[in-house]
Amino acid sequence: MSTTTSVQIQEAEQAVAVSNTPLARLRRLLVDTPEIGIVVAVIASFAIFTSINSDFSSGAELQNLGVDLSGFAILAIGESFCIITGGIDLGVGSLTALFAVVAAWMNVSLHIPVFLTFLLVIVCGALWGLGHGLLITRLGVAPFVVTLFTFIFAAGADEALAPNPIPVTSSVFLSIVGSTVAGVPIAVIVLLVIAIGAWFVLERTYIGRQIYAVGGNAEAARLAGIPVRRRITVVYMISGACAGVVGIIVASHLTSGTADSVSGWELIAIASCVIGGVSLIGGQGRMIGVVAGAALLVVLRDGLVAVNVNTYYQSMVVGAVLLFAIVVDRLRVIRLERSGKRVRRVAEVKAASHVPPEDVN
Amino acid sequence: MLSDQSQPVAAGAGGDLVLTGVRKTYGPVTVLDVPRLVFRGGEVVALVGENGAGKSTMMGIIAGAVQPDAGTVRVAGHELDGAGTHAAQELGITMVSQEFPLVGQLSVAENLLLGQKPGTRRFLVDWRAMDAAAQTMLARVGLEVPLRRRVDSLAVAQRQLIEIAKALGREPRVLILDEPTSALGPTESERVLQIARSHAASGGVVIFVGHRLNEVRDVADRIVVLRNGRLVADLAPEVATEERIVREMVGHELANAEQLDRPEAEAPLVMRAQALEAEGLGPINLTVKAGEVVGVAGLMGSGRSRLLHVLMGSIPSSGGTMNLAGKTYRPRDTADAVNAGVALIPEDRKVQGLLVDSSLRWNGTLVVLRRIARRGLVLTPRADRSKSREIIASARVVCQTPEQPARSLSGGNQQRLIFGRWMAARPHLLLLDEPTRGVDVGAKAEIYRLIDEQRRDGMGILAASSELEELLSICHRIVVMRNGMITAEFDRSEFSKEAIIAAAAVDRVPA
Repeated sequence: MSTTTSVQIQEAEQAVAVSNTPLARLRRLLVDTPEIGIVVAVIASFAIFTSINSDFSSGAELQNLGVDLSGFAILAIGESFCIITGGIDLGVGSLTALFAVVAAWMNVSLHIPVFLTFLLVIVCGALWGLGHGLLITRLGVAPFVVTLFTFIFAAGADEALAPNPIPVTSSVFLSIVGSTVAGVPIAVIVLLVIAIGAWFVLERTYIGRQIYAVGGNAEAARLAGIPVRRRITVVYMISGACAGVVGIIVASHLTSGTADSVSGWELIAIASCVIGGVSLIGGQGRMIGVVAGAALLVVLRDGLVAVNVNTYYQSMVVGAVLLFAIVVDRLRVIRLERSGKRVRRVAEVKAASHVPPEDVN
Repeated sequence: MLSDQSQPVAAGAGGDLVLTGVRKTYGPVTVLDVPRLVFRGGEVVALVGENGAGKSTMMGIIAGAVQPDAGTVRVAGHELDGAGTHAAQELGITMVSQEFPLVGQLSVAENLLLGQKPGTRRFLVDWRAMDAAAQTMLARVGLEVPLRRRVDSLAVAQRQLIEIAKALGREPRVLILDEPTSALGPTESERVLQIARSHAASGGVVIFVGHRLNEVRDVADRIVVLRNGRLVADLAPEVATEERIVREMVGHELANAEQLDRPEAEAPLVMRAQALEAEGLGPINLTVKAGEVVGVAGLMGSGRSRLLHVLMGSIPSSGGTMNLAGKTYRPRDTADAVNAGVALIPEDRKVQGLLVDSSLRWNGTLVVLRRIARRGLVLTPRADRSKSREIIASARVVCQTPEQPARSLSGGNQQRLIFGRWMAARPHLLLLDEPTRGVDVGAKAEIYRLIDEQRRDGMGILAASSELEELLSICHRIVVMRNGMITAEFDRSEFSKEAIIAAAAVDRVPA
């Protein structure tokens, strides 16, 4: 009996045993940290575009790329918080457009100093998000529906506020996109600060862990004493504040408060999250993946332009990448579940072998 | 009807339902073994037994939902070939139970006629014919509700009657009522009993699975008692006193008289609830001492879980006072409860307890995150890892690594992980809801050991369970709940299975 058990244990352990061939190690690394695959994809596509058109990696092009990335990535970071709790924020694109106009309007028409304008816009974004959060947690409205309201409402509000573009003249305002520090646009520095801050909150604070827990199983989180409503509310505030920041960047980029170019950005933000490995069911996803997902979309978009691919192919390429990311993610989950079952079998065989001594004799 | 009963009836004659040699095992456990049982047309047969006695399995087999390992089920001579519930329905077997719920968003009439199409129109819904048919069905159960009302806007009792009306609408030969009155008040219950009687009077077979013994005696022409999967008694109502039924249900095993050292007499109270009320609960007076294990017994729907959830702040209380370890305790939510030192290990591990896709580490440290965080905010990987190892070790979770997902653990190990999670929080009061549901025998013993360790540490423990044996073996005291109230209390020296079952199942109101 004891010999069969030990054989069983060996067999079961072999099934989960870690093989150490380089290929197996690489595969394990990819399974554990799917974000690496996306980073590799970003670098590879960048290299391909550069090899076709060497201008693509010129300093000016890189700065452009960086500014485009900062907008998408910051929106995607805010969006990822909502998706991690199992929700969604459809309003970020329209809010970005609205806040671009509001920022210009405050600074130009109301003569509010630039930095105070920035602060007010970001606070407005957070307050708008607070509204989302309260409607979701107090009235139990689905996040999709609440933010769909904003998607529609804010898209009209910006034009009502400023039927014509408001030209921004303040040099400080324009420097967000126009100026660089050691060759890096200020917008990119803003992105870096926000990305590191978001990573810190999610992975290095108890609040971040609680946000994951809410997305993983809201009822279990509630019964574990986690203030679920507050956590859900705060992620929509974060997302709203991010839309405020991106609104400022957009106004600075276009040198005026106008919003036409921002349409569809909420979908790009969501796509960045999904490509970056954030599960739409909630509970999973990391900052590096989100930023890399946004980077992949920006490189593809700008790169296809740089190599003169017709614009309507761009959407098709982005769509194909999204599909690919979804399929890879599912394959990964299925693999994880299988290995989970194997691990359980080892544990069960082992537990079964801990028979009380009198049974063995 | 009594003369009917005394007549020997040939197997398979008339509308009888006959079980022959029906057996069902799950692994090594035989859950049902019935050589022969006849339900005659024109009879209401009550089926009683403790949890796990085999009632649900028998009902499942008759209704075609469970495939027996051996034996046959015949209705009026036709054999049920075991090919699912459809085959059973073809034979005229209909079960009213929670497993075939109404569709909440549809109207009363639509629910009643779901899958049927009265009237003569080919493609369109013939509303007039539908209403007429639905009205007739409602009249049979004596219920008056607007046909266009959405079902989810109705009271539980009305919905239960609609379920029965729907079942009767299929004109069944065999009508199975699975605890049809558990959610009903006295008036509606009486109506259900009448429906059962009149269906039998019209020649049908009625099987009434019941917990309330006075109802069972009231309605049944025969009372069949199951214990451990076997048929132990087939009683006529004249001889079936409540004492007799309980005795047959329990058997002659004695309550576990094993010694359990008592908490000290002057041990402080960790919980004192006075006149505590909430929706469907109370008023309740309850105390739990430090180092004491108090059991909560009661039937399904008696308010066991509800009581625990009110103490946890997960369901709001509407009146009364609570005092936790000497301080006034008024939780607004579960976060308040955790901060005050209350812990709940819920009934359904996967739905209410675990983050199944997250690691053991994340699951383990979930309630102590703030305590291990630096300055109450920053969570360092080192603190997180070492705490999770400590938790896994203290609860003796068998695993490969703290990083494996919780779904990869067996049920018993998952439960231990949740124990470890809460032990790390060192609460004053630990609430356990079905602490060993769905874990195997070995893991059960291990969980009892964990409970014992916590008790010795001075934690107060309140454990709700549907397994009476479990409560008898681990508790110092057992309170019995019925209809949201505590109806009896037993000290360990007075433990008696019969008395507890009687307190849970028998209405004290004299006839």
